[in-house]
Amino acid sequence: MFHFDRRLLQHFDWALLLTLLTVIGISLMNLYSASHVGYYGTPPYIKQIFYYLVGCGMMLAIISVDYRFLLRANYLIYGSIVVLLLVAMFFGKTAMGAQRWINLGIIKLQPSELAKLSMVITMASYYCRKDTGKGFDLWELLPPTGLVLLPVILIIKQPDLGTALMLLFVFASMTLFAKIRLRTFIFLAVLILALAPLGWEHGLKPYQRQRIETLFAPEADPLGAGYHIMQSKIAIGSGQTFGKGYLAGTQVHLDFLPERHTDFAFSVLAEEWGFAGAIFFLAWYFFLVFLGINVAGAARDKFGVFLAFGVTALLFWQAFVNLAMVLGLLPVVGMPLPLFSYGGSSLLTNLAGIGILLNVRMRRFSRPGGAASKA
Amino acid sequence: MQQVISRVDKINEAELLTLKKRLRYASMLLLAFASILVIRLWYLQILNGENYFKLSENNRIRLHWLKAPRGMLSDRFGRPLIANRPYFNVTLAREDAPNPEDLLNRLSTILDVDVNELLDRIREGEDYPRYVPILLKEDIDWKTLVSIENHLYDLPGIRIDVLPSREYLYENLGSHLFGYLGRINEAELSERADEGEYQRNDQIGKLGLERIFEKQLRGEQGKRYIEVDAQGFEQREVSVQQPLPGSDLKLTIDRDMQDVAEDALDGRAGAAVVMEVTTGRILALASSPALELDKFVGGISSQNWKEMQEDEMKPLINKATQGQYPPGSTYKMVVALAGLSEGVINADTTFFCNGAMKFKGRDYRCWKKQGHGTISLERALAESCDVFFYSVGMRVGVDKLAEYAKSLGLGEPTGITLEHEKSGVVPSIAWKKKRFGQVWYEGETMSISIGQGYDLATPLQICQMTSTLVNGGTRYRPQLIEAVMDADGNVAKGFEPIIDGHALGTAKSLDLIRAGMVAAVNTPHGTAGVAKSKSMLVGAKTGTAQVVKVKQYQHLRENDIPYKWRDHAWFTCFAPAEKPEIAVTVLVEHGLHGATGAGPVARRLLKEYFKERMDTKETVLIEDE
Repeated sequence: MFHFDRRLLQHFDWALLLTLLTVIGISLMNLYSASHVGYYGTPPYIKQIFYYLVGCGMMLAIISVDYRFLLRANYLIYGSIVVLLLVAMFFGKTAMGAQRWINLGIIKLQPSELAKLSMVITMASYYCRKDTGKGFDLWELLPPTGLVLLPVILIIKQPDLGTALMLLFVFASMTLFAKIRLRTFIFLAVLILALAPLGWEHGLKPYQRQRIETLFAPEADPLGAGYHIMQSKIAIGSGQTFGKGYLAGTQVHLDFLPERHTDFAFSVLAEEWGFAGAIFFLAWYFFLVFLGINVAGAARDKFGVFLAFGVTALLFWQAFVNLAMVLGLLPVVGMPLPLFSYGGSSLLTNLAGIGILLNVRMRRFSRPGGAASKA
Repeated sequence: MQQVISRVDKINEAELLTLKKRLRYASMLLLAFASILVIRLWYLQILNGENYFKLSENNRIRLHWLKAPRGMLSDRFGRPLIANRPYFNVTLAREDAPNPEDLLNRLSTILDVDVNELLDRIREGEDYPRYVPILLKEDIDWKTLVSIENHLYDLPGIRIDVLPSREYLYENLGSHLFGYLGRINEAELSERADEGEYQRNDQIGKLGLERIFEKQLRGEQGKRYIEVDAQGFEQREVSVQQPLPGSDLKLTIDRDMQDVAEDALDGRAGAAVVMEVTTGRILALASSPALELDKFVGGISSQNWKEMQEDEMKPLINKATQGQYPPGSTYKMVVALAGLSEGVINADTTFFCNGAMKFKGRDYRCWKKQGHGTISLERALAESCDVFFYSVGMRVGVDKLAEYAKSLGLGEPTGITLEHEKSGVVPSIAWKKKRFGQVWYEGETMSISIGQGYDLATPLQICQMTSTLVNGGTRYRPQLIEAVMDADGNVAKGFEPIIDGHALGTAKSLDLIRAGMVAAVNTPHGTAGVAKSKSMLVGAKTGTAQVVKVKQYQHLRENDIPYKWRDHAWFTCFAPAEKPEIAVTVLVEHGLHGATGAGPVARRLLKEYFKERMDTKETVLIEDE
């Protein structure tokens, strides 16, 4: 399984890699604009280059091992993540009021990031093993729901609502993809609608409720929770058709736009390059997601299909939630734009995800033991 | 592995195909969601783009922080010690300064500061956003302020910022205790990044209570939202959230006592501590020489810092809590307590002092060459006979001595709320093994029995020890805070005595030791006569801490010995003897003799505390150990 096969290279997804590199290029250019002044020490865009290099090294490591190995290591991976989340809860470093980091000296580990990929792997393994093609009923859905809820609860406790929701979104997408029975679907839909008000009252912290309320009336509170959304909308809107020009975004450079190199990085792009630039970027970006779906379509076995689909769903939901947030369509939850925003943990997770996609794609014809065969 | 994989590899082509067909729906959904985003973009940028553009040009809301007035420090009677007053700071708005070189040259003449110092400040601030003003000079005086105001037209970009900051009502009083403020540095800023409560140019406590109670003293900043125009200038105020002033600290310190302590030390290197024996309240805690606080305002220069570090008077050290000295004869109380409680001696046990004690062929001398003759405990304490305590110490043994010393708080920090408190050293056989990897020699027990050798203690520890010995054996933790008062003047946290332990040994032993200390003041040959008062019974013990035995200086008269080789002087006392209220401990570095070097400082402190209850007359000082 480790020895090199020329076919692996033949089936390598060059389109995916090139699209990725384009997104990375745009990201770095944009990050430079957002962070070349006003930072002490190493500026973020330099650090980001370093993260990209580390991430690419990691991708290389991931594609060198057959993805089917993940099916076997699945419960080990799941168990380690739960342990790491517990460690973060009891010994973690607090950032912005949330217990998220485990400090390992040189590296700061954020287990909730790792949990995203591990969830995809766990669900892919589960559905691959149990799928009969007839669709799952309520009882059959109980075990995977339990598997998801454990890390989700630990992550909500941190509290990191954004990541927890992400896990649920990905879980829901993969479950629907694996197909559930109509009766079960209707039952669950009714149940969720009935429980939503309860969750609103008891499940959310006051500031989280406020963020959602703000979404629908940001002008009512332009200085508090609405400040971020207002400033982001002004930044994006004021870009108009062709933007204010590279390095010339006033919202960015006069310090109005908060978190401009992390969560609101897209706002910087939209302000400086306008509608034209934003559409150009989104086209590339969603093409990347589309290629992910393509990988699922080309996979050689069920596990590969589920895995590629899950990774793609993860990528997509993160991107959609972030973009909808900066465009003022969803509340502020603290979600970076994958592969684009500044930040090591998120970047490494998503590059690892791309690595899995490349892996599934290049082994579409391979046999156990690594020998290739024609389909 | 093979088994698992072979299960995956049983590929059912039909099933796989149905699965893959569902991907079409995924692609469609992707397209739908992407369309939502594109429509939204179009709505914001094309349909409403002009509106938003106008907003970004004209209607910019910016947040300014309002600094909270820092809490004040007052003494136990509520008399203010450190308050606030407006500081007039000179700042530079770079946006309005097209030609800084020229500007700085003119400014440096007015401020009388080297132009390079100003350039350094600007270089430091280069990374801030452009509109953030750079602080050029803190706290200019009235005359400079007027002259800048007059020249403001020639100084484009120069502003005067008014900020409340510290006013030291008594100059350097309690400088080690209260500490000082300084501009926050990058490390401190990033440590507090989570709280988001600090900005560049902010002041932060750097030492002492200012540092330890930073959180309480600082209060909460207010927020002021303003609208600015495209150049960043204020157009109107949108809303204000007033700052929450910091809490005031009411200290246990008595301003007058602190003042007398520092005045009496008179610039000599040393420390003085006054403690209430039945509560642990610290009434004065002085370390000399004082820190010159005005040198720290606006950040201390590296040259000043270096000078202070190399100064043989060590002004940077708080000698009351960080200075460790051999306790000398003040340690004899520990030996007495151990001897009495272990049954090695009683009140009537006598030893014969002929001026020295022979042990393993070596003479261990008593400070009195001609000897004390036949001597029992009370006289031994009063006249500080070394031979008596050699004999007791040898019979008790080093490890038992250590137990008693530790029960009196020696060998560990007292737990006072001051930083970097030292623990001192209480030697034992195990300690020496661990520290040096060597066995204990019995001769060393001789040395430690008179508080020399490995023994080390801080003045605060000796003061606490004295309190514990005379209050019936309860070890109170020394405390500095009488109350933390919130912004409305309510007591948020009041004083509560903390008991950290109890002295080993019987009440009878403690009584005998107390009597010995009273005898040291009130008998003709007692070493501590300097503290004698006609109207009040005082108890005391003198001490001399050998710095080092240097043979070449032994033949010299003591005033000819170089300063750094002279002995340290200890004096620790309490009063009134019948029902002790306070304990006073004084250490003067290289002060030669307890009674003459440190005694007068203690006497002035007693007098200041008891006022007319105590009258002291100048006593003729007798020859001391």
